[in-house]
Amino acid sequence: MPETIEAYLAELRTALAGADPALVQDAVYDAEEYLRSAAAENGGTPEAVAEAIDAYGTPAEIAAAYRETERTVTAALRRPAAPSSKSTNPFARFFGVVADPAAWGALFYMLLSLLTGVLYFTVVVTGLSLSAGLFILIIGVPVALLFIGAVRAISLAEGRIVEGLLGQRMPRRPRTVVVADGTIWGRLKSWFSDYRTWTTMLYMLLMLPLGITYFTVVVSALAVSVATFALPIVQWVANSPVIRINGWGYLVEPWGAPFFFAGGLLGVFLTLWLAKGIGYLHGLFAKVMLVGRFEGGAQ
Amino acid sequence: MDVADELMLRKFQKELNSGTVSLILLAILDRSQEPLYGYQIAKSIEGNWQQGAPVKQGTLYPVLRSMEESGLLGSRVEPSVAGPPRKYYTITDRGRAVLADWKSAWATTRDYVDMTLEGRNDA
Repeated sequence: MPETIEAYLAELRTALAGADPALVQDAVYDAEEYLRSAAAENGGTPEAVAEAIDAYGTPAEIAAAYRETERTVTAALRRPAAPSSKSTNPFARFFGVVADPAAWGALFYMLLSLLTGVLYFTVVVTGLSLSAGLFILIIGVPVALLFIGAVRAISLAEGRIVEGLLGQRMPRRPRTVVVADGTIWGRLKSWFSDYRTWTTMLYMLLMLPLGITYFTVVVSALAVSVATFALPIVQWVANSPVIRINGWGYLVEPWGAPFFFAGGLLGVFLTLWLAKGIGYLHGLFAKVMLVGRFEGGAQ
Repeated sequence: MDVADELMLRKFQKELNSGTVSLILLAILDRSQEPLYGYQIAKSIEGNWQQGAPVKQGTLYPVLRSMEESGLLGSRVEPSVAGPPRKYYTITDRGRAVLADWKSAWATTRDYVDMTLEGRNDA
C-alpha cells in the first residue's frame, strides 16, 4: 500500500496504464480531492494519510471501478450508429454521411475554429508578452499566474468542445500534476514545470492558422457546391448568362441543368466527408497536444 | 470463514453494491439541503454504516461521474485550500424523478427477498 498521496496517485496512474488518458486524468483528480480532503481533516499526519488511503481503496481496486464504469457508461451513452454507415453498399455509405452527426459536428467545429483560433492566439500572445514584459516588476508574477490559469481553463473548455463536436474522449476535470507538497506554491510551480502547459500553449497558437484554414476550406467548398447547384436557376431567373469569360457569356443549355444540380449536391456530400476526415484528425491532434496519447504509465 | 468463502462473500457484496450505491448516492443528495462534494458524500456514507462500510470510498466517484453524465446530477467546481478544486454535486429534477422510481423498485425487491428468506411466500 502506498504511504503518501503522491505515491498513491503515481500507483493509480500505473494501474490505469493503457486506459484512455482522459479517464486517467479524471480518476487521479477524484483521488487527489478525496485524499487531500480526508488527510487535511484529520490533521495531515502520516497516519491520517494512511487511513484515508485505506478507506479510499487500493489503486488496483479503484482502477478497476473506473474501467468498469467507463465501459458501461460509454455503452449506454453511445449514439446508435446511423444504419447507412453500416451498409456494405458503397453508394449508401457515401450518401449516408448526410445523416452522420460526426460529419455535421466536424463541419460546425471547422466554422467555429476561426473564432476560437483567433481568441486562443490572442490570449497566448497577450499573456506571454505581458508576463515577459512585466517580469522585472513584481506585478509580472500575478500576471503570469493569471495567464497560466487561463490557459488551463481554456484547455479544459476546448476539450469539451472537441469531445462534443468531434467525438474524441477528452478530460472532464482539470489536469492534476503530482506535486511534492500540496501548498499553493508547490501547485503553481508544478504548473510551470508541467510540459503539458507548454504544449497547450503551442496548440492554442497553432489554432490560428488551423482555424483560418478550416474555415476557408469549409466556406469555399460549400460556396462552390451551392454556386454550382444554383447556376442554372439563377440563369433562368435573371434570363442572362451567369458564366462570363473575357466578355463572352456562356449559357447552360436546359439539358445541362441536371448535371449542375447533381454536381452541386455531390459537392455538399464531398464537403461533409472532408469535414468528417479533418474532424477526426483534429480530434487526435487535440488529444495529443492537450492530454497526451502516451500518458497513463508511471511518470 | 475460509479464504474461498471470504472471496465469495466479497463478490456477492460487490454485486449488491453495484445497484444500491447509485440509489444511496441519489438519496443522500436528495436529502441534503446544500451541494456536497465527493469527500463529504463518502464520509456520510461511511459514518452511517455500522461496523465499517463494505464499499470502498474511491469506488463512489466513478458512480457520481456516470450519474452526472446521465443527467441525474448537476455539478459546479469551487476552489479549495486543501487540494484541487472541489466538485459540488446537486440532484437534478430528472434525478428526483428517477429516485422515486428506484425507491419503489427497491421496496418491491427488498420485500420480496425478505419474504423469500423468511419462507413466507412458499406456495
